[in-house]
Amino acid sequence: MPSAEDEELRRGLTTALDKVQPPYSTPRYLAVRPRPLAWRLAPAVLAVTALSALVISAYAGTGSPNPVVWTEKVVNVVQPPASSPTPEQTQQSPSAKPAPSHAESPEPAQSPEPRESPEPAQSPEPSDDHDSSPSPPPSTTTSDSGDGERS
Amino acid sequence: MPESYRPGSREDFDRLYRVAYPRVFRTVAAILADPAAAEDCTQDAFVQAFQAWKRWRPDAPAEAWVHRIAVNRAISYRRSARLRGVGEVLRRLGRPTHVNDPADDATRRDLLTALRAINPKLAAAIVLRHYHGYNNREIAAALGVSERTVGARLHQAALNLRAQLDTDFSLEAVETFTSEPDETYAKR
Repeated sequence: MPSAEDEELRRGLTTALDKVQPPYSTPRYLAVRPRPLAWRLAPAVLAVTALSALVISAYAGTGSPNPVVWTEKVVNVVQPPASSPTPEQTQQSPSAKPAPSHAESPEPAQSPEPRESPEPAQSPEPSDDHDSSPSPPPSTTTSDSGDGERS
Repeated sequence: MPESYRPGSREDFDRLYRVAYPRVFRTVAAILADPAAAEDCTQDAFVQAFQAWKRWRPDAPAEAWVHRIAVNRAISYRRSARLRGVGEVLRRLGRPTHVNDPADDATRRDLLTALRAINPKLAAAIVLRHYHGYNNREIAAALGVSERTVGARLHQAALNLRAQLDTDFSLEAVETFTSEPDETYAKR
């Protein structure tokens, strides 16, 4: 239910805006021409053309239709191998490589010696008096050996 | 009975233009003081609507959809008009101005001036509700906001209008308006 204020506002707006006469000129939308179909397909055609040019140039550069070869070529060009061995090193490499644990290994500091485990240091050294069997808990008797005095 | 239109139909768009153009123009005229600018914004809104006519969805009234385009254009125009300054005034000189009826000039300037002085989004909400008779849902579609926001805007618009008019919405006082013809309530 509109209030008295709303009703008054409605009357005021009607009085004011009914007298606003729009200029009756030719509608501008009549001059708008729809875009030709070619313009709508232009982005897709452009993308296909660019892709085709890329494929052709990759084939021409590598001589191979395999995309994996193209990728490898790009990788090799962008990131060349970090250490490119000299011809002398490549001749020596077959003898050096198979023996990383050789005694004359040039990198003793880098590779730790895993064989020398620290475990023996942890367990107490067995004394000569003890039997090989696990030592019994400390008993009250002083002699525990079977060779003790028999009376 | 609300008009029904088919998206993409040229005949229906022509009919929409004949029905909605005067209404949209008056809404924009309530936001913009310049009649030529109001015509520009309204015509450009229909051009934009025509270009998007195939994509229009009938879930909102077509006139509300065009209103939304036109109101956005009017708001942008008003925002940029402040930056154009004197150059815009010089460009508009020489155009035939609308001849006002002196007897009604006071009424128009009073309320319309107040409308043009408040936030254009609030002014649009007031006009859509109290002049075009839109409900909250239609106003929401016309302004691109939620229905809840419409209620808040209408309330705020009423407060701002009241402050601009400096009355209690008593428009009958217009008959005793004796101010100078070029005197307005809006303080720019």
